[in-house]
Amino acid sequence: MVTGTFEVVTRPVSRTVPAVRLSGWHRLRRGIVPYAYLAPAVALLVVWTYQPLAQTAYLSFHSWNLVPTSPMAAVGTANYERLLTTGELGEAVWHTVEVIAGMLPFTVAIPVVVALLVRRIRGRAQAVYRALVFAPMLVAPVAGAAVWQWLLDPSAGAVNRVLGTDLNWLNTTSTAQLSLIVITGWHVVGFAVLVVWAGMTGINPDYGDAARVDGATPGQVTRWVTLPLLSPTLAFLGLMTVLLSAQWTFPLIDTLTQGGPVGATTNVYYLLWELGFRSHDAGLAAAAGVLFFVGFIVVAALLTRLADRLTHHDD
Amino acid sequence: MKRTLCVAATLVVAGCGIGGTDPAAPVDRVPELASDQQVSIVLESYNFGQAGPWTDTFTELIDAFEQAHPNIDVTAQKPQGNSANPATDTISSLQSQLTAGHAPDVVQLGFSDLDFAINELNAAPLDDLVGTDAVRANFDGDTHPYADSARTLGDWNGKTYGVPFVFSTPMLYYNKTLFAEAGLDQERAPSTWDEVATAAKAVTDATGKGGAYVDCLTKAAKDWCFQALVRSNGGRVISEDRTRLTFAEQPAVDAVTTMKGLVTDGLMPNLTQTQAVEAFSRGDLGMILESSAIQGTFLKGATGKWDLGAAAMPSFTGREAVPTNSGAALFVFASDPAKQRAAWELITFLTSERAYTTIAEKIGYLPLRTGLVDDPDGLKSWAEENPYLRPNLAQLDRMEPWVSMPGTSYLQIRDGMMEAVENAVFHGADPAESLRAKQDEVSDLLPDGDR
Repeated sequence: MVTGTFEVVTRPVSRTVPAVRLSGWHRLRRGIVPYAYLAPAVALLVVWTYQPLAQTAYLSFHSWNLVPTSPMAAVGTANYERLLTTGELGEAVWHTVEVIAGMLPFTVAIPVVVALLVRRIRGRAQAVYRALVFAPMLVAPVAGAAVWQWLLDPSAGAVNRVLGTDLNWLNTTSTAQLSLIVITGWHVVGFAVLVVWAGMTGINPDYGDAARVDGATPGQVTRWVTLPLLSPTLAFLGLMTVLLSAQWTFPLIDTLTQGGPVGATTNVYYLLWELGFRSHDAGLAAAAGVLFFVGFIVVAALLTRLADRLTHHDD
Repeated sequence: MKRTLCVAATLVVAGCGIGGTDPAAPVDRVPELASDQQVSIVLESYNFGQAGPWTDTFTELIDAFEQAHPNIDVTAQKPQGNSANPATDTISSLQSQLTAGHAPDVVQLGFSDLDFAINELNAAPLDDLVGTDAVRANFDGDTHPYADSARTLGDWNGKTYGVPFVFSTPMLYYNKTLFAEAGLDQERAPSTWDEVATAAKAVTDATGKGGAYVDCLTKAAKDWCFQALVRSNGGRVISEDRTRLTFAEQPAVDAVTTMKGLVTDGLMPNLTQTQAVEAFSRGDLGMILESSAIQGTFLKGATGKWDLGAAAMPSFTGREAVPTNSGAALFVFASDPAKQRAAWELITFLTSERAYTTIAEKIGYLPLRTGLVDDPDGLKSWAEENPYLRPNLAQLDRMEPWVSMPGTSYLQIRDGMMEAVENAVFHGADPAESLRAKQDEVSDLLPDGDR
């Protein structure tokens, strides 16, 4: 298994003192070469990432409604104070945590089970199963949402008929979030299976064969060989889930609940979008953006450290 | 050292490209168009966001306008966005386009956006643009003037910015067929909220279908008819001088409590706006308090299956109901004089006698030139055949304006208030507590609040 580590190659340093001192121009030219190589990448990074980031930080201390003809007023830390004192942000963060926790079964547990099961099937049937599992990923989220809306309809929906309930799933505070998680899970599970499948293909079959020669049962091979070697893939999926779940749910929230009922499905991204592009409160949205950015950096850093500890690499 | 430099450079760059420029210059009178002067303008209206009667009617009107004004080319578009109700997208769509520097020339905006559209987005004052006489002449019309209560809805500080275009008052639509099944008098609609509850109970008991739905109690419904409910109970959502929010005061709390009672008694199903409109159209709901904008949809659903009845907005026992208006006015955002003039031509056409005849017949919105109803060349015969218009027209006389919330955060105030209402009515929160907490929170967003 190839891992993502890079060898650090130190530049060979010449120990000999040059006979003739290089002129200033030559020194400059030699010095500039590495930077010239870096320049295109750095320029793009600055234009597309760091500049907007700095602009966001700048905007977060202002009040502005995004209209070119209206002035931008400096308001100090008022935007941050408002975010941290009203409950909105805390609720949105909690909803995001719910979504992430709810998504993990769909992005880690189910895909592993499906991939292990599908592995036992041979021949064409396997391709058919894999295609079937992947199919929901190909449905546009908004189109899928429309179908789910019918399925979850309170009076005529198939879900209520099957379960014998009369719930308005998407308009009840206790079930709206669950519905969104299941719909998003249905949508991304195919992708997660594909990733797990790719991880499994990367495992050298010799390990399993060797274990079997030593008398390991298929269950033991799965538990002690396949799963440990799959751990980097699973860690990757876990990281993806934590960082991207809230984004995956976005189109569905926008189509099905618009963050409602009464904010029950408003997660951090939807809140950000509502502040920025519904209320056109650029300053408040920017402040929320900065807070989320910092928050996600911390989460990502923790997760990458955790992943390094927990995963087992086939070095 | 290098890192510091880089950060500093980035911060300098950050200053560029964002932020406001100079406010718009004062508006001068715009010249008439020469007959051969070709102008093309963009009309943005949420009426184009829904297929069926809305789009068809307005496409027909635009075609007629282009025939009457061969030198003006109109591109009609719906607001950007994908909300179930395109009227929700108007202001964010306009704002995005203003941000990008290409605003549509004529925009149909809700009355809730009045303050913001005029004071923040700089809608053009029509009195300055075409002269007070021309504006007045348009309201007076060729034969039928605007209803008095409608004329000033788009005014601000004595100047007309928006020409009131399409709106309704809250109407109680009811399913006569379900009423008959429940043993109720088909011709006598409930006139108080107590009667609504009784009728709803009869309908649910007899048919097992939904009783009543009041489409004034969710964030998606906006606050136009919630304001009517609160006004009908003797309160206001905001003080008359618009400096203080009052939606947590007793009249509002009582109105919300009455509505919540319908839900807890099982007489009002927990539905979204879209679901409720669909359910009523299917014949699965006894009554719905709704704008007449949806009347066309109801009639289409009812045809051949059930009978539609319409009545005035119910009152709270012992008080008179105070209807408010829904709907929108037409504003000019064009900056080029030729386009501004063409925009005015379009507005006068869309608010003409002829246009209102079409709009009232095909959609169900009020003909703001009320005289049309008695005009044999206008809507007389149609109004006699369709009993739905009369209660709406009667309410127009004693209607009060839908008040827009002040300041740049007006949407957060309005939506916050409606979220508190929705939370209390449908999701179990205590009305007094929910409204009080929200009022305290969003009061900071008023222009002279803490912020």
